Amino acid sequence: MIPWGASVRVHWNRGTPREHRLWLWIPLFLVWLIFLPLLLVLFPLVACVCVFIGVDAVELYKTSWRMITSLRQTWVEVRTGEFWVWVSLA
Amino acid sequence: MGDDRRQILDLLANGKITADEAERLILALERSNGNESSGAAGTVSGSSGAKSRPKYLRVLVEGDEQMTGMKGGTTVNVRVPMQLLRAGVRLAGLIPAQAHDQLDQAFSRHGVPVTLSQIRPENLEELIDHLGDLTVDVDGKDGNPMKVRVFCE
Repeated sequence: MIPWGASVRVHWNRGTPREHRLWLWIPLFLVWLIFLPLLLVLFPLVACVCVFIGVDAVELYKTSWRMITSLRQTWVEVRTGEFWVWVSLA
Repeated sequence: MGDDRRQILDLLANGKITADEAERLILALERSNGNESSGAAGTVSGSSGAKSRPKYLRVLVEGDEQMTGMKGGTTVNVRVPMQLLRAGVRLAGLIPAQAHDQLDQAFSRHGVPVTLSQIRPENLEELIDHLGDLTVDVDGKDGNPMKVRVFCE
């Protein structure tokens, strides 16, 4: 399944009395609602470009779809000193 | 297997089970026979058959204050689904054939003797499957305080 949302947590001044926390939930499904129909509409143009450069347009779409659907449960955490960022795709 | 299937058909013929039940029993029989044969193959091939396939690739990088200049050091922790790697390797198959030579030359110039036209998706799939046994631990020594760990889980 495509990831429906991205969770972003940011902490800064960690371990200090001035610690701040931020949590965002980004609704990726809204992005897909706009992006995916647009890709479908642009398919003829993309197909023409792919024919010109020698790439299979259908395989390109299939591979791109596989990559998008594989993004679920990916997360990245970066901790630097008093700064912490965690991004997760769900 | 033949006796079991015969028994199911006899029960169906005698009206003791319905056709739907007979079908489900036969499917369950085929599934269990399929599991037995694959289990036997796993036993013959060794312990790798019993291992479950890894789901994620993890990369851990740790650098201390001396290296990063940041108080408390730096840690980067990434988890990527193996499915993403499998989908990503298929991108190599999209490279136009006429570009293969140029890319091969570019790789050679940088000391990587790769021939893209000889790379097949099934070979890369096999490589990814074997990533399950991969563990890379790099401990910095001699003034290089960075630790890198790559493994699958």
